Amino acid sequence: MSAFNDDVRLAGEAIWKVLLVSAVLGAGLPAVFALGIRSLAWGTGGEARAGSTSPGRSGSPVGKVLAVFLFVVVAYAIVAGLIYIIASGQGKDISFSHVVPTIGGTS
Amino acid sequence: MLVLVVVTALGFDFTNGFHDTGNAMAASIATGALKPRLAVALSAAMNLLGAFLSVAVALTVTNAVVKTFDSTATSASQALTVPGDKLLSIVLAGLIGGIVWNLLTWLLGLPSSSSHALFGGLMGAAIAAIGWNGVNWVGDGTKLDGVVGKVLLPAVASPVVAAIAAGIGTWLIYRITVGVAARFSESGFRWGQIGTASLVSLAHGTNDAQKTMGVVTLALIATGHWDHLDSIPFWVKLICAASIALGTYLGGWRIIRTLGKGLVEIESPQGVAAEASSAAVILASSHLGFALSTTHVATGSIVGTGLGKPGAEVRWAVAGRMVVGWLLTLPAAGVVGAAMWGIGNLFGLAAGSIVQFVILVAVAGYLYARSRRQPVGAHNVNDAWDAGTTSPTIPTGAAA
Repeated sequence: MSAFNDDVRLAGEAIWKVLLVSAVLGAGLPAVFALGIRSLAWGTGGEARAGSTSPGRSGSPVGKVLAVFLFVVVAYAIVAGLIYIIASGQGKDISFSHVVPTIGGTS
Repeated sequence: MLVLVVVTALGFDFTNGFHDTGNAMAASIATGALKPRLAVALSAAMNLLGAFLSVAVALTVTNAVVKTFDSTATSASQALTVPGDKLLSIVLAGLIGGIVWNLLTWLLGLPSSSSHALFGGLMGAAIAAIGWNGVNWVGDGTKLDGVVGKVLLPAVASPVVAAIAAGIGTWLIYRITVGVAARFSESGFRWGQIGTASLVSLAHGTNDAQKTMGVVTLALIATGHWDHLDSIPFWVKLICAASIALGTYLGGWRIIRTLGKGLVEIESPQGVAAEASSAAVILASSHLGFALSTTHVATGSIVGTGLGKPGAEVRWAVAGRMVVGWLLTLPAAGVVGAAMWGIGNLFGLAAGSIVQFVILVAVAGYLYARSRRQPVGAHNVNDAWDAGTTSPTIPTGAAA
Protein backbone atom coordinates (compact mmCIF):
# COMPACT_ATOMS: atom_id res chain seq x y z
CA MET A 1 0.00 0.00 0.00
CA SER A 2 2.99 2.33 -0.30
CA ALA A 3 1.54 3.78 -3.49
CA PHE A 4 -1.52 4.73 -1.48
CA ASN A 5 0.67 6.44 1.13
CA ASP A 6 2.51 8.30 -1.62
CA ASP A 7 -0.80 9.60 -2.92
CA VAL A 8 -1.80 10.77 0.55
CA ARG A 9 1.57 12.47 1.07
CA LEU A 10 1.47 14.20 -2.33
CA ALA A 11 -2.10 15.32 -1.75
CA GLY A 12 -1.15 16.68 1.65
CA GLU A 13 1.63 18.76 0.11
CA ALA A 14 -0.71 20.11 -2.57
CA ILE A 15 -3.57 20.86 -0.17
CA TRP A 16 -1.45 23.17 1.98
CA LYS A 17 -0.41 25.20 -1.04
CA VAL A 18 -3.95 25.39 -2.35
CA LEU A 19 -5.23 26.44 1.08
CA LEU A 20 -2.60 29.16 1.39
CA VAL A 21 -3.21 30.62 -2.07
CA SER A 22 -6.98 30.40 -1.67
CA ALA A 23 -6.93 32.11 1.71
CA VAL A 24 -4.74 34.96 0.42
CA LEU A 25 -6.52 35.49 -2.91
CA GLY A 26 -9.97 34.13 -2.18
CA ALA A 27 -10.38 35.97 1.11
CA GLY A 28 -7.90 38.81 0.60
CA LEU A 29 -9.30 40.20 -2.63
CA PRO A 30 -12.89 40.42 -1.38
CA ALA A 31 -11.49 42.17 1.69
CA VAL A 32 -9.71 44.72 -0.51
CA PHE A 33 -12.95 45.14 -2.44
CA ALA A 34 -14.81 45.71 0.82
CA LEU A 35 -12.25 48.35 1.81
CA GLY A 36 -12.90 50.00 -1.56
CA ILE A 37 -16.63 50.11 -0.88
CA ARG A 38 -16.00 51.54 2.56
CA SER A 39 -13.76 54.21 1.06
CA LEU A 40 -16.39 55.02 -1.53
CA ALA A 41 -18.99 55.48 1.17
CA TRP A 42 -16.55 57.69 3.08
CA GLY A 43 -15.73 59.65 -0.08
CA THR A 44 -19.38 60.22 -0.92
CA GLY A 45 -20.23 61.28 2.58
CA GLY A 46 -23.72 62.32 3.57
CA GLU A 47 -25.93 59.41 4.32
CA ALA A 48 -23.36 56.81 3.43
CA ARG A 49 -23.14 55.74 7.03
CA ALA A 50 -26.13 53.98 8.39
CA GLY A 51 -27.71 56.12 11.11
CA SER A 52 -25.64 59.18 10.26
CA THR A 53 -26.72 62.26 12.21
CA SER A 54 -25.41 64.83 9.72
CA PRO A 55 -27.15 64.11 6.42
CA GLY A 56 -25.73 67.14 4.61
CA ARG A 57 -22.04 66.40 5.26
CA SER A 58 -19.91 66.50 2.14
CA GLY A 59 -17.62 63.59 1.35
CA SER A 60 -13.88 63.35 1.39
CA PRO A 61 -12.04 63.35 -1.96
CA VAL A 62 -9.35 61.19 -0.37
CA GLY A 63 -11.98 58.49 0.09
CA LYS A 64 -12.93 58.58 -3.58
CA VAL A 65 -9.32 58.34 -4.75
CA LEU A 66 -8.65 55.52 -2.34
CA ALA A 67 -11.78 53.69 -3.52
CA VAL A 68 -10.74 53.95 -7.16
CA PHE A 69 -7.26 52.72 -6.29
CA LEU A 70 -8.59 49.70 -4.38
CA PHE A 71 -11.04 48.80 -7.16
CA VAL A 72 -8.17 48.97 -9.66
CA VAL A 73 -6.20 46.53 -7.49
CA VAL A 74 -9.12 44.07 -7.52
CA ALA A 75 -9.69 44.53 -11.27
CA TYR A 76 -6.00 43.90 -11.90
CA ALA A 77 -6.17 40.67 -9.93
CA ILE A 78 -9.23 39.51 -11.89
CA VAL A 79 -7.63 40.35 -15.24
CA ALA A 80 -4.47 38.55 -14.13
CA GLY A 81 -6.62 35.55 -13.26
CA LEU A 82 -8.25 35.62 -16.69
CA ILE A 83 -4.91 35.86 -18.46
CA TYR A 84 -3.68 33.01 -16.32
CA ILE A 85 -6.59 30.76 -17.35
CA ILE A 86 -6.17 31.63 -21.01
CA ALA A 87 -2.40 31.24 -20.99
CA SER A 88 -2.42 27.93 -19.16
CA GLY A 89 -5.13 26.72 -21.56
CA GLN A 90 -2.71 27.40 -24.39
CA GLY A 91 0.03 25.53 -22.53
CA LYS A 92 2.08 28.66 -21.86
CA ASP A 93 3.93 29.71 -18.77
CA ILE A 94 3.03 33.03 -17.28
CA SER A 95 5.13 35.38 -15.20
CA PHE A 96 3.85 37.93 -12.72
CA SER A 97 7.32 39.24 -11.86
CA HIS A 98 6.64 42.39 -13.87
CA VAL A 99 3.54 44.38 -12.99
CA VAL A 100 1.98 43.49 -16.32
CA PRO A 101 1.64 39.71 -16.62
CA THR A 102 3.88 38.45 -19.38
CA ILE A 103 3.22 35.26 -21.25
CA GLY A 104 6.35 33.19 -21.61
CA GLY A 105 7.25 30.28 -23.86
CA THR A 106 5.60 26.91 -23.94
CA SER A 107 6.22 25.02 -20.74
CA MET B 1 -21.48 2.49 -32.90
CA LEU B 2 -18.96 5.34 -33.00
CA VAL B 3 -21.81 7.73 -33.79
CA LEU B 4 -23.71 6.46 -30.74
CA VAL B 5 -20.67 7.01 -28.51
CA VAL B 6 -20.18 10.54 -29.82
CA VAL B 7 -23.86 11.40 -29.37
CA THR B 8 -23.84 9.94 -25.84
CA ALA B 9 -20.66 11.85 -25.00
CA LEU B 10 -22.31 15.06 -26.14
CA GLY B 11 -25.33 14.13 -24.04
CA PHE B 12 -23.05 13.81 -21.03
CA ASP B 13 -21.43 17.15 -21.84
CA PHE B 14 -24.90 18.68 -22.00
CA THR B 15 -25.93 17.32 -18.58
CA ASN B 16 -22.54 18.45 -17.26
CA GLY B 17 -23.38 21.96 -18.42
CA PHE B 18 -26.77 22.31 -16.81
CA HIS B 19 -25.75 20.38 -13.72
CA ASP B 20 -22.96 22.84 -13.01
CA THR B 21 -24.56 26.17 -13.89
CA GLY B 22 -25.31 26.61 -10.21
CA ASN B 23 -21.65 26.33 -9.19
CA ALA B 24 -20.90 29.66 -10.77
CA MET B 25 -24.24 31.38 -10.80
CA ALA B 26 -26.32 30.21 -7.83
CA ALA B 27 -25.04 32.96 -5.54
CA SER B 28 -25.51 35.71 -8.15
CA ILE B 29 -29.05 34.59 -8.87
CA ALA B 30 -29.97 34.24 -5.20
CA THR B 31 -28.78 37.74 -4.31
CA GLY B 32 -30.39 39.33 -7.36
CA ALA B 33 -27.03 40.53 -8.73
CA LEU B 34 -28.10 39.06 -12.06
CA LYS B 35 -31.51 38.19 -13.42
CA PRO B 36 -31.77 34.39 -13.70
CA ARG B 37 -31.96 34.34 -17.51
CA LEU B 38 -29.09 36.78 -17.86
CA ALA B 39 -26.99 34.81 -15.37
CA VAL B 40 -27.28 31.53 -17.26
CA ALA B 41 -26.63 33.31 -20.58
CA LEU B 42 -23.46 34.89 -19.19
CA SER B 43 -22.36 31.57 -17.73
CA ALA B 44 -23.02 29.80 -21.05
CA ALA B 45 -21.00 32.39 -22.97
CA MET B 46 -18.12 32.05 -20.52
CA ASN B 47 -18.26 28.25 -20.74
CA LEU B 48 -18.21 28.40 -24.54
CA LEU B 49 -15.26 30.76 -24.45
CA GLY B 50 -13.48 28.64 -21.84
CA ALA B 51 -13.97 25.45 -23.84
CA PHE B 52 -12.33 27.06 -26.87
CA LEU B 53 -9.53 28.66 -24.90
CA SER B 54 -8.18 25.42 -23.57
CA VAL B 55 -6.22 23.47 -26.11
CA ALA B 56 -4.27 21.37 -23.64
CA VAL B 57 -4.80 17.75 -24.56
CA ALA B 58 -7.22 15.96 -22.26
CA LEU B 59 -6.75 12.49 -23.71
CA THR B 60 -5.33 11.22 -20.48
CA VAL B 61 -8.35 12.29 -18.45
CA THR B 62 -9.94 8.85 -18.58
CA ASN B 63 -6.56 7.28 -17.99
CA ALA B 64 -6.49 8.69 -14.49
CA VAL B 65 -9.09 6.14 -13.44
CA VAL B 66 -9.12 3.34 -16.03
CA LYS B 67 -6.23 1.54 -17.67
CA THR B 68 -7.24 1.86 -21.28
CA PHE B 69 -4.41 3.86 -22.58
CA ASP B 70 -0.63 3.72 -22.48
CA SER B 71 0.55 7.29 -22.22
CA THR B 72 4.15 6.34 -22.99
CA ALA B 73 3.25 5.11 -26.47
CA THR B 74 4.35 7.22 -29.40
CA SER B 75 1.54 6.53 -31.85
CA ALA B 76 -2.16 6.58 -31.20
CA SER B 77 -2.88 3.11 -32.53
CA GLN B 78 -0.27 1.57 -30.22
CA ALA B 79 -1.49 3.43 -27.16
CA LEU B 80 -4.63 1.37 -26.65
CA THR B 81 -4.23 -1.40 -24.11
CA VAL B 82 -7.60 -3.02 -24.88
CA PRO B 83 -9.12 -3.78 -28.31
CA GLY B 84 -10.83 -0.78 -29.89
CA ASP B 85 -14.38 -2.14 -29.95
CA LYS B 86 -14.16 -3.24 -26.32
CA LEU B 87 -12.83 0.17 -25.31
CA LEU B 88 -15.67 1.79 -27.20
CA SER B 89 -18.29 -0.21 -25.31
CA ILE B 90 -16.60 0.56 -21.96
CA VAL B 91 -16.70 4.26 -22.79
CA LEU B 92 -20.34 4.09 -23.88
CA ALA B 93 -21.41 2.22 -20.73
CA GLY B 94 -19.43 4.65 -18.57
CA LEU B 95 -21.00 7.68 -20.23
CA ILE B 96 -24.49 6.29 -19.74
CA GLY B 97 -23.71 5.69 -16.05
CA GLY B 98 -22.61 9.31 -15.74
CA ILE B 99 -25.66 10.71 -17.53
CA VAL B 100 -28.18 8.66 -15.55
CA TRP B 101 -26.65 9.74 -12.23
CA ASN B 102 -26.47 13.37 -13.34
CA LEU B 103 -30.16 13.35 -14.30
CA LEU B 104 -31.23 11.64 -11.09
CA THR B 105 -29.35 14.08 -8.87
CA TRP B 106 -30.69 16.96 -10.93
CA LEU B 107 -34.25 15.71 -10.34
CA LEU B 108 -33.52 15.66 -6.61
CA GLY B 109 -31.89 19.10 -6.77
CA LEU B 110 -28.59 17.72 -5.51
CA PRO B 111 -25.38 19.36 -6.70
CA SER B 112 -23.12 16.38 -7.32
CA SER B 113 -19.88 16.23 -9.22
CA SER B 114 -20.21 15.56 -12.95
CA SER B 115 -16.59 14.46 -13.09
CA HIS B 116 -17.20 11.89 -10.38
CA ALA B 117 -20.27 10.64 -12.26
CA LEU B 118 -18.17 10.16 -15.41
CA PHE B 119 -15.29 8.56 -13.52
CA GLY B 120 -17.67 6.33 -11.57
CA GLY B 121 -19.39 5.15 -14.74
CA LEU B 122 -16.09 4.42 -16.44
CA MET B 123 -14.76 2.58 -13.40
CA GLY B 124 -17.88 0.43 -13.16
CA ALA B 125 -17.74 -0.45 -16.84
CA ALA B 126 -14.01 -1.16 -16.66
CA ILE B 127 -14.40 -3.44 -13.63
CA ALA B 128 -17.18 -5.35 -15.40
CA ALA B 129 -15.22 -5.60 -18.62
CA ILE B 130 -11.62 -6.08 -17.54
CA GLY B 131 -11.81 -6.84 -13.81
CA TRP B 132 -10.49 -5.03 -10.73
CA ASN B 133 -7.15 -4.57 -12.44
CA GLY B 134 -8.81 -2.45 -15.10
CA VAL B 135 -9.03 0.42 -12.66
CA ASN B 136 -6.06 2.64 -11.94
CA TRP B 137 -6.51 2.73 -8.14
CA VAL B 138 -3.39 4.57 -6.99
CA GLY B 139 -0.59 6.58 -8.53
CA ASP B 140 2.98 5.41 -9.01
CA GLY B 141 4.35 7.52 -6.16
CA THR B 142 5.80 10.29 -8.31
CA LYS B 143 2.68 12.34 -8.86
CA LEU B 144 -0.95 12.38 -7.84
CA ASP B 145 -2.73 9.85 -9.99
CA GLY B 146 -5.31 7.11 -9.90
CA VAL B 147 -8.66 7.00 -8.15
CA VAL B 148 -7.22 7.85 -4.74
CA GLY B 149 -5.02 10.72 -5.89
CA LYS B 150 -7.21 12.26 -8.57
CA VAL B 151 -10.69 11.62 -7.20
CA LEU B 152 -10.99 10.61 -3.55
CA LEU B 153 -8.48 12.82 -1.74
CA PRO B 154 -9.37 16.02 -3.63
CA ALA B 155 -13.05 15.33 -2.99
CA VAL B 156 -12.46 15.26 0.76
CA ALA B 157 -10.10 18.22 0.83
CA SER B 158 -11.54 20.70 -1.64
CA PRO B 159 -14.87 21.56 0.09
CA VAL B 160 -13.01 22.10 3.37
CA VAL B 161 -10.38 24.33 1.77
CA ALA B 162 -13.05 26.33 -0.06
CA ALA B 163 -15.15 26.67 3.10
CA ILE B 164 -12.17 27.99 5.08
CA ALA B 165 -11.26 30.57 2.42
CA ALA B 166 -14.87 31.70 1.97
CA GLY B 167 -15.41 31.83 5.72
CA ILE B 168 -12.40 34.07 6.26
CA GLY B 169 -13.42 36.26 3.31
CA THR B 170 -16.98 36.66 4.56
CA TRP B 171 -15.84 37.47 8.08
CA LEU B 172 -13.39 40.12 6.81
CA ILE B 173 -15.97 41.71 4.50
CA TYR B 174 -18.54 42.07 7.25
CA ARG B 175 -15.93 43.44 9.65
CA ILE B 176 -14.76 46.01 7.13
CA THR B 177 -18.13 47.21 5.89
CA VAL B 178 -19.86 47.36 9.26
CA GLY B 179 -21.83 50.58 9.45
CA VAL B 180 -21.67 51.33 5.73
CA ALA B 181 -25.10 52.09 4.31
CA ALA B 182 -26.75 49.22 2.49
CA ARG B 183 -27.07 51.15 -0.77
CA PHE B 184 -23.28 51.14 -1.11
CA SER B 185 -22.54 47.64 0.03
CA GLU B 186 -25.39 45.95 -1.87
CA SER B 187 -24.80 47.60 -5.24
CA GLY B 188 -21.02 47.48 -4.95
CA PHE B 189 -20.90 43.82 -4.08
CA ARG B 190 -23.32 42.98 -6.87
CA TRP B 191 -20.74 44.21 -9.36
CA GLY B 192 -18.12 42.21 -7.57
CA GLN B 193 -20.27 39.11 -7.88
CA ILE B 194 -20.68 39.44 -11.64
CA GLY B 195 -16.90 39.53 -12.07
CA THR B 196 -16.13 36.60 -9.79
CA ALA B 197 -18.99 34.46 -11.14
CA SER B 198 -17.73 34.97 -14.69
CA LEU B 199 -14.29 33.77 -13.63
CA VAL B 200 -15.75 30.59 -12.16
CA SER B 201 -17.75 29.92 -15.37
CA LEU B 202 -14.70 30.42 -17.53
CA ALA B 203 -12.61 28.09 -15.38
CA HIS B 204 -15.43 25.52 -15.57
CA GLY B 205 -15.49 25.68 -19.36
CA THR B 206 -11.76 25.17 -19.65
CA ASN B 207 -11.81 22.18 -17.30
CA ASP B 208 -15.00 20.29 -17.94
CA ALA B 209 -15.52 20.60 -21.68
CA GLN B 210 -12.04 19.15 -22.04
CA LYS B 211 -13.08 15.90 -20.38
CA THR B 212 -15.70 15.18 -23.03
CA MET B 213 -13.33 16.24 -25.79
CA GLY B 214 -10.86 13.70 -24.44
CA VAL B 215 -13.49 10.95 -24.34
CA VAL B 216 -14.69 11.63 -27.91
CA THR B 217 -11.12 11.71 -29.20
CA LEU B 218 -10.39 8.45 -27.39
CA ALA B 219 -13.38 6.90 -29.19
CA LEU B 220 -12.09 8.21 -32.53
CA ILE B 221 -8.68 6.67 -31.86
CA ALA B 222 -10.29 3.39 -30.83
CA THR B 223 -12.05 3.16 -34.19
CA GLY B 224 -9.04 4.33 -36.16
CA HIS B 225 -10.57 7.64 -37.25
CA TRP B 226 -7.88 9.74 -35.62
CA ASP B 227 -4.20 9.10 -35.10
CA HIS B 228 -2.74 12.01 -33.18
CA LEU B 229 -1.96 11.93 -29.49
CA ASP B 230 -1.21 15.61 -29.18
CA SER B 231 -4.21 17.25 -30.78
CA ILE B 232 -8.01 17.14 -30.89
CA PRO B 233 -10.02 17.47 -34.14
CA PHE B 234 -11.51 20.92 -34.48
CA TRP B 235 -15.07 19.67 -35.02
CA VAL B 236 -14.84 17.76 -31.72
CA LYS B 237 -13.84 20.93 -29.93
CA LEU B 238 -16.68 22.83 -31.62
CA ILE B 239 -19.49 20.41 -30.77
CA CYS B 240 -18.25 19.84 -27.22
CA ALA B 241 -18.04 23.57 -26.52
CA ALA B 242 -21.49 24.13 -28.05
CA SER B 243 -22.98 21.24 -26.10
CA ILE B 244 -21.71 22.33 -22.67
CA ALA B 245 -22.76 25.94 -23.38
CA LEU B 246 -26.26 24.87 -24.43
CA GLY B 247 -26.59 22.78 -21.30
CA THR B 248 -25.44 25.69 -19.17
CA TYR B 249 -27.88 28.04 -20.86
CA LEU B 250 -30.85 25.77 -20.14
CA GLY B 251 -29.83 26.00 -16.52
CA GLY B 252 -30.13 23.37 -13.85
CA TRP B 253 -32.68 25.42 -11.96
CA ARG B 254 -33.29 22.75 -9.34
CA ILE B 255 -29.62 22.69 -8.40
CA ILE B 256 -29.26 26.47 -8.57
CA ARG B 257 -32.14 26.68 -6.12
CA THR B 258 -30.57 24.26 -3.66
CA LEU B 259 -27.19 25.98 -3.77
CA GLY B 260 -28.48 29.54 -3.78
CA LYS B 261 -31.41 29.30 -1.39
CA GLY B 262 -31.25 25.94 0.36
CA LEU B 263 -27.89 25.91 2.11
CA VAL B 264 -27.55 29.48 3.33
CA GLU B 265 -29.55 32.66 2.79
CA ILE B 266 -26.96 34.55 0.78
CA GLU B 267 -26.44 38.31 0.69
CA SER B 268 -24.31 40.05 -1.95
CA PRO B 269 -21.16 40.37 0.21
CA GLN B 270 -21.34 36.64 0.95
CA GLY B 271 -21.80 35.96 -2.75
CA VAL B 272 -18.59 37.82 -3.53
CA ALA B 273 -16.71 35.93 -0.84
CA ALA B 274 -18.07 32.56 -2.03
CA GLU B 275 -17.33 33.08 -5.70
CA ALA B 276 -13.94 34.70 -5.13
CA SER B 277 -12.79 31.78 -3.03
CA SER B 278 -14.24 29.26 -5.51
CA ALA B 279 -12.29 30.93 -8.31
CA ALA B 280 -9.13 31.06 -6.19
CA VAL B 281 -9.35 27.40 -5.15
CA ILE B 282 -10.08 26.18 -8.70
CA LEU B 283 -7.28 28.22 -10.26
CA ALA B 284 -4.72 27.48 -7.55
CA SER B 285 -5.36 23.75 -7.70
CA SER B 286 -5.35 23.49 -11.47
CA HIS B 287 -2.02 25.31 -11.39
CA LEU B 288 -0.67 22.75 -8.93
CA GLY B 289 -2.10 19.79 -10.83
CA PHE B 290 -4.58 18.99 -8.09
CA ALA B 291 -7.70 17.72 -9.85
CA LEU B 292 -10.93 18.68 -8.19
CA SER B 293 -14.62 19.08 -8.80
CA THR B 294 -16.09 22.54 -9.31
CA THR B 295 -19.22 21.33 -7.54
CA HIS B 296 -17.42 20.42 -4.33
CA VAL B 297 -15.59 23.73 -4.30
CA ALA B 298 -18.69 25.83 -4.90
CA THR B 299 -20.69 24.00 -2.24
CA GLY B 300 -17.87 24.32 0.27
CA SER B 301 -17.59 28.04 -0.44
CA ILE B 302 -21.28 28.64 0.12
CA VAL B 303 -21.23 26.73 3.42
CA GLY B 304 -18.16 28.80 4.37
CA THR B 305 -20.00 32.08 3.85
CA GLY B 306 -22.69 30.84 6.20
CA LEU B 307 -20.07 30.05 8.83
CA GLY B 308 -18.22 33.34 8.37
CA LYS B 309 -21.13 35.71 8.68
CA PRO B 310 -22.10 36.41 12.27
CA GLY B 311 -25.61 35.19 12.91
CA ALA B 312 -26.04 33.37 9.60
CA GLU B 313 -27.51 29.90 9.60
CA VAL B 314 -26.28 26.91 7.62
CA ARG B 315 -28.98 24.33 6.91
CA TRP B 316 -26.93 21.30 7.84
CA ALA B 317 -29.73 18.92 6.86
CA VAL B 318 -29.42 20.14 3.26
CA ALA B 319 -25.62 19.98 3.42
CA GLY B 320 -25.83 16.45 4.81
CA ARG B 321 -28.03 15.33 1.92
CA MET B 322 -25.44 16.67 -0.48
CA VAL B 323 -22.60 14.82 1.21
CA VAL B 324 -24.60 11.60 1.01
CA GLY B 325 -25.12 12.32 -2.69
CA TRP B 326 -21.39 12.83 -3.17
CA LEU B 327 -20.53 9.58 -1.41
CA LEU B 328 -23.01 7.72 -3.59
CA THR B 329 -21.87 9.29 -6.87
CA LEU B 330 -18.92 7.02 -7.63
CA PRO B 331 -20.51 3.69 -6.66
CA ALA B 332 -23.95 4.52 -8.09
CA ALA B 333 -22.66 5.70 -11.46
CA GLY B 334 -20.31 2.71 -11.35
CA VAL B 335 -23.17 0.26 -10.86
CA VAL B 336 -25.08 1.76 -13.79
CA GLY B 337 -21.90 1.71 -15.90
CA ALA B 338 -21.24 -1.94 -15.01
CA ALA B 339 -24.86 -2.95 -15.66
CA MET B 340 -24.80 -1.18 -19.01
CA TRP B 341 -21.63 -2.99 -19.99
CA GLY B 342 -23.24 -6.27 -18.98
CA ILE B 343 -26.30 -5.57 -21.12
CA GLY B 344 -24.10 -4.56 -24.02
CA ASN B 345 -22.06 -7.73 -23.66
CA LEU B 346 -25.23 -9.85 -23.55
CA PHE B 347 -26.41 -8.62 -26.92
CA GLY B 348 -22.98 -8.45 -28.51
CA LEU B 349 -20.98 -5.30 -28.84
CA ALA B 350 -22.76 -3.72 -31.81
CA ALA B 351 -26.40 -4.61 -31.08
CA GLY B 352 -25.78 -4.08 -27.37
CA SER B 353 -24.79 -0.48 -27.86
CA ILE B 354 -28.12 0.21 -29.55
CA VAL B 355 -29.98 -1.48 -26.67
CA GLN B 356 -27.98 0.62 -24.19
CA PHE B 357 -28.80 3.78 -26.04
CA VAL B 358 -32.52 2.96 -26.11
CA ILE B 359 -32.42 2.32 -22.34
CA LEU B 360 -30.66 5.65 -21.81
CA VAL B 361 -33.30 7.53 -23.83
CA ALA B 362 -36.10 5.78 -21.92
CA VAL B 363 -34.59 6.55 -18.48
CA ALA B 364 -33.86 10.15 -19.44
CA GLY B 365 -37.40 10.58 -20.75
CA TYR B 366 -38.87 9.15 -17.55
CA LEU B 367 -36.79 11.41 -15.31
CA TYR B 368 -37.68 14.43 -17.43
CA ALA B 369 -41.39 13.60 -17.24
CA ARG B 370 -41.01 13.24 -13.50
CA SER B 371 -39.43 16.69 -13.27
CA ARG B 372 -42.40 18.31 -15.02
CA ARG B 373 -44.65 17.48 -12.07
CA GLN B 374 -42.99 20.19 -10.01
CA PRO B 375 -41.05 22.34 -12.43
CA VAL B 376 -38.40 24.72 -11.19
CA GLY B 377 -37.41 27.44 -13.60
CA ALA B 378 -36.31 31.04 -13.87
CA HIS B 379 -39.68 32.16 -12.53
CA ASN B 380 -39.58 30.44 -9.15
CA VAL B 381 -35.90 29.69 -8.56
CA ASN B 382 -35.69 32.27 -5.76
CA ASP B 383 -38.93 31.48 -3.93
CA ALA B 384 -38.62 31.21 -0.17
CA TRP B 385 -37.07 27.95 1.00
CA ASP B 386 -39.58 25.91 2.97
CA ALA B 387 -37.67 24.12 5.69
CA GLY B 388 -40.66 21.91 6.46
CA THR B 389 -40.45 20.00 3.20
CA THR B 390 -36.66 20.39 3.01
CA SER B 391 -36.96 21.08 -0.68
CA PRO B 392 -40.05 21.85 -2.69
CA THR B 393 -38.31 20.45 -5.72
CA ILE B 394 -38.71 16.87 -4.57
CA PRO B 395 -41.90 15.23 -5.79
CA THR B 396 -43.62 13.49 -2.90
CA GLY B 397 -42.70 9.85 -2.77
CA ALA B 398 -39.59 10.28 -4.88
CA ALA B 399 -37.30 11.17 -2.00
CA ALA B 400 -36.27 7.58 -1.54
